[in-house]
Amino acid sequence: MAEFSWEVRSPLERALVAGPFGTRGDAGVSLTEIRNFDLIQVMARRSKAAHMAEAAKGRFGVPAPDTPRAVDAADATLIWSGPDQFLVLSKSGKHAIEALGQAFAASASLSDQSHARVLISVSGTKARTMLAKLSSIDLHPDAFSIGAAAATSIDHTSVTLWRGTDGPDGQAVFNLLVLATFAESLWHTMLDAAAEYGVAIAHSEA
Amino acid sequence: MRIVCPFCGERELGEFTYLGDAKPARPAADAGEDAVFDYVYLRDNVAGAMSEHWYHSGGCRAWLKVTRNTLTHEISAVEPAAGAGAAKVGA
Repeated sequence: MAEFSWEVRSPLERALVAGPFGTRGDAGVSLTEIRNFDLIQVMARRSKAAHMAEAAKGRFGVPAPDTPRAVDAADATLIWSGPDQFLVLSKSGKHAIEALGQAFAASASLSDQSHARVLISVSGTKARTMLAKLSSIDLHPDAFSIGAAAATSIDHTSVTLWRGTDGPDGQAVFNLLVLATFAESLWHTMLDAAAEYGVAIAHSEA
Repeated sequence: MRIVCPFCGERELGEFTYLGDAKPARPAADAGEDAVFDYVYLRDNVAGAMSEHWYHSGGCRAWLKVTRNTLTHEISAVEPAAGAGAAKVGA
């Protein structure tokens, strides 16, 4: 039998080149891939939505979002992904699928998406201007405040988009999860859209 | 054209996939061949308000029942289809 050596690596390993891109000078857009996270899809079983909400409150200490919102718990972010379902984004394995199984055993089905999505953080003074070229939803602070989330499409690709806590510079931070196999394509689309503003490209392990 | 998804809010047409007439209901097992033929093949060509199924494929992936005027594209009602979002439909 053939022996395989599995190596964990980011779907953006080839496409992501850390450093400056596009127009020189101060970067208007920062694109950062966040690597090594746990992402669990939690979907209520039929007529168990209320039960699932209780289980989520017990596990995370905050109510799971039942409208398009991203809710920060102490050590996880709960992101609405559709009716009666949400994503649990965390790190260090604390809320990995094995850890969550017990809490939701009676109310929801879990699916491990940790290696099925890529997490990209978009920030900088021109972040919203750049995203406005690609997204049809209104990302103005009046319409898309901190904690707002959307299951939407960018460049014909399904993404989960939410606004995180503002960065230390006071600028809005947009996070998006994209299916792993579409990540490289979306990455190039975003680079093209952001090039005129100057881009700072990075990836973080945390 | 835009559709106001009951879960996501107003979204562009490109996020949705059209299924078709939401009226036909599966006949009972003993309803006979004509009823099944009608259910599977025969569709009304409505000029005016029509009840349709749409799928929010590029968003929350819920099935929706949309009432749309086929002459003007005016949408008068959008509701979750049976089974979409158990909490809202009570299914």
